[in-house]
Amino acid sequence: MTERLKGITQKISRPLYSNARLINYYWQRTKRNKLAVFGLAFIIFLVLLAVVGPFFTLDPTLVNFEEKNLPPVGFAIEQSVYNIETDEFTTTKVSGTWKHPLGTDSKGRDMLAMLISGARVSLLVGLIATGIAIILGTIIGVLSAYLGGWADNALMRFTDVMMTFPFFLLLVLIVFIFGPSLAIIVLAIGLTGWTGTARLIRSEGLSLRTREFVTAAKAMGASDNRVVFRHLIPNVISLIIVIATLAIPGVILAEAALSFIGLGDPTVPSWGTILEAGQHSLNTAWWVAVEPGIMIFLTVLAFNFLGDGLRDAFDPKSNI
Amino acid sequence: MIMDNTILKVNNLKTYFFTRRGVVKAVDGVNFELRKGECLCLVGESGCGKTVTALSILGLIDSPPGRIVDGQISYNGLDLAQCSLKQLRQIRGSDISIVFQEAQSALNPVLTIGDQIVEQIRLHLPMEHSQARERAMTLLNEMGIPSVERVMSYYPHQLSGGMKQRALIAMSLSCDPKILIADEPTTAVDVTIKAQILNIFRELKAKRQMSLIFITHDLAVVAEIGDRAVIMYGGKDVETAPVSEIIGEPKHPYTSGLIECLPDLSKTTDRLASIPGTTPNPSEMPQGCAFHPRCPKAMAICSQQESTEIIISREHKVSCHLYR
Amino acid sequence: MGKSWLRDYIIKRLIYSVIIAWGILTVTFILVRVGPSSPADRYLANIAAGGHDVTQVVAAIEARYGVDKPIWVQYADYMGNLFQGNWGWSFSTSMPVIELIKGHWIYSFQLILLSSLFAAFLGILIGIYSAVKQYTKVDYAFTLSSFIGISIPNFWLGVMLILVFSVKLGLFKTYYDTTLPLFSLDNLKALVLPVMTLGTGMLAGYVRYTRSAMLDNLRKAFVTTARAKGLPERTVIGKHVFRNALLPLVTIIMFDLGSIVFGGAYLTEIIFGIPGLGQISFNAIFANDYPVVIAVTLIGTFIVLLVNLVTDITYTYLDPRIRYD
Repeated sequence: MTERLKGITQKISRPLYSNARLINYYWQRTKRNKLAVFGLAFIIFLVLLAVVGPFFTLDPTLVNFEEKNLPPVGFAIEQSVYNIETDEFTTTKVSGTWKHPLGTDSKGRDMLAMLISGARVSLLVGLIATGIAIILGTIIGVLSAYLGGWADNALMRFTDVMMTFPFFLLLVLIVFIFGPSLAIIVLAIGLTGWTGTARLIRSEGLSLRTREFVTAAKAMGASDNRVVFRHLIPNVISLIIVIATLAIPGVILAEAALSFIGLGDPTVPSWGTILEAGQHSLNTAWWVAVEPGIMIFLTVLAFNFLGDGLRDAFDPKSNI
Repeated sequence: MIMDNTILKVNNLKTYFFTRRGVVKAVDGVNFELRKGECLCLVGESGCGKTVTALSILGLIDSPPGRIVDGQISYNGLDLAQCSLKQLRQIRGSDISIVFQEAQSALNPVLTIGDQIVEQIRLHLPMEHSQARERAMTLLNEMGIPSVERVMSYYPHQLSGGMKQRALIAMSLSCDPKILIADEPTTAVDVTIKAQILNIFRELKAKRQMSLIFITHDLAVVAEIGDRAVIMYGGKDVETAPVSEIIGEPKHPYTSGLIECLPDLSKTTDRLASIPGTTPNPSEMPQGCAFHPRCPKAMAICSQQESTEIIISREHKVSCHLYR
Repeated sequence: MGKSWLRDYIIKRLIYSVIIAWGILTVTFILVRVGPSSPADRYLANIAAGGHDVTQVVAAIEARYGVDKPIWVQYADYMGNLFQGNWGWSFSTSMPVIELIKGHWIYSFQLILLSSLFAAFLGILIGIYSAVKQYTKVDYAFTLSSFIGISIPNFWLGVMLILVFSVKLGLFKTYYDTTLPLFSLDNLKALVLPVMTLGTGMLAGYVRYTRSAMLDNLRKAFVTTARAKGLPERTVIGKHVFRNALLPLVTIIMFDLGSIVFGGAYLTEIIFGIPGLGQISFNAIFANDYPVVIAVTLIGTFIVLLVNLVTDITYTYLDPRIRYD
């Protein structure tokens, strides 16, 4: 009898990441969602671009006023140049060249290089900040669900307080107080974005807590620690994956927004800072505003597609 | 053959559901007629198509996946399977009413009982709001609901199970329908309420001369309230007869099986009888007669061909190779 | 059928809100005090230029601001000040913070109100339509659009709208004139693009939530009953289904206020130069004007708290199924 119990709990509690057949099953379900596949493909492309790109492109910080405000390849724009000797404006039509396939900004920096640099920033911030938020949220959620009683109450009240702060306003406040460096931004986002996760994990944890396999494990003498780590957490992994994938776009947008209003890290070109500069030169170099926006949009869209697809794939009730 | 006092005739009705995983033939050739003033029972286990048949009569099948693909439903000179939505809506709730199984989920939780009944009355009958309220309260009273004035302003969850069911029945009667279809009204309630509800239906038949289609899987209920019964299996009708003959001289092996399943308190047994096997999945019907895998009297031909309708007597039909 | 329990619930909820409010103020206080800056910061350059002994002057300034007092005294002062309406002095605009807020909050309110109306009206309609037509091409189109809507960075959308409509087409002016009355035609015209910017993000959310709430109810038994009564389809959907979807929908929308609306409004004001609270907070950041930034954050937070409270109580009152005996 104990042998049978052991066998059952082992089968159920094998964590997702070590159960190959289960992973394959979920992957099959995800694959059927074309949008999710597109999302994943784009993300992989972006990661490759971020990792490999810098070796093939120009230096994004290289300023060259001779080549400022060049349009992207295939576009042309009329530029007026003031000739100090003749006291006249000469208008010339300037076309894009392959040297700067996506054009240059008002200081002559190559757009493509800057966008790739921005990709690195966005992905890094996205992954690390989300990681911090998820880990923090999961710990709080699981503890709250498992400990119950006054600990649960206290933790949830604290979560309520943090949740009441409008996310962006709190972020602005923290970055304002502590200074706009990349590290601070990552920490700030991580330390303010965990509340949703905590709530979701806690409610999942509460429902899991009363399920039979937990009682079975405890009946066999499993300690509290063991129940939490080997039984509860593996069962929320799929939930965590979905939450993470859907949280990353919010983080990327937050970082971009911070950079946009000038609270980004000034030493690193991020999509947000490029966009901010771009909004002042809409007349002379509209691409500086358009391109980073497209990148942010596509990245966020890709993560949203993927996250939505994963959520449907993991949900046993959805008929994929 | 249509008799003079037939009020509704269903002829070879087929309702299929076209899903991503294939075609589900929920109703695959059902025939019966309802006569004025009688109580016709549609009997069968869950999944045999009884509810879908009832919904098909009023055109209430969810139309993206489901559709009536064949058959006629004759009422008052109209073929309900073919007529326009507008005509159907005129009939729904006023000529033909349907009462669903579970009163709590069948009533709108955010509207008061009064609201819901008055809405139906004013839809079909030319009445002022106060007149409609009066009528609604009279009906609720008839159903044996106390303090009708208060109940009118109650929400469904504030009533007990039995009250809800009565309110639902009252609502379905609000426009004096000629035909009332009751979909398993006694299934989801406990025994005492079951008796009360059966009483209500008996009175309805007597006082209002209503024609009832009573859907159930419980033969005991059929015996108590039915005049004639149609036994359904696998989306088809397999035996039709007056209730006394169904219970006394069942012809189809499935019918016999159902009767044997009724526990008899006068006998002592070790195990309750049951029909071996399970009802077939409507998207994977067995070849030939749908019942043959579970039939104790199955013959070779049963696995190859379905039986046609065989007339045993004027009132008794069976679809079974045993009687060819 | 009285709802006397409602009164008790309201009291409980109020007490709870007070506790949360206290938590908010405390967290903010901790953040500010833990921060590396001191009120003397902006004077440092001047102090050095004047040749004074930096440490002494800094100590004097800090004493004047009370920063050298023990932390709990500071905390008490902080709470006391806030309650008395003394929200500090904005040195960058030379007026009490409270006056600054009073002069500008109305513009934020106007922007958010108009955007919400735009988003709610359109969003709910599209959401209902999308749910009713589930699995059709129209539904897929709208669902895809709402994905796009929540993925477009709202600040980029604002810039793009300016690019297309103002720069290239010259249709709308892009500045807001505070000397004109609030709802003057000129100002309303200037608000078209901002409302579209802020509204689009909100719209996508409304569409998704409405659609989801409707779908939850469309397959329920009472819907078949309503049809069986002979009701026309538009009544079935518009009255029966929608009323069931409405309550959870309102709750979700209200609770979403803090995440989408305020962040979006902040950015929209900055892009379009609307002189609301977001704009003054932004200005204050670059002038290193602490009290203003803190004040705007707190106001936003307390509005969220208030909205949560009101929504909670309203929902409990409206949903006939809830009873707390």
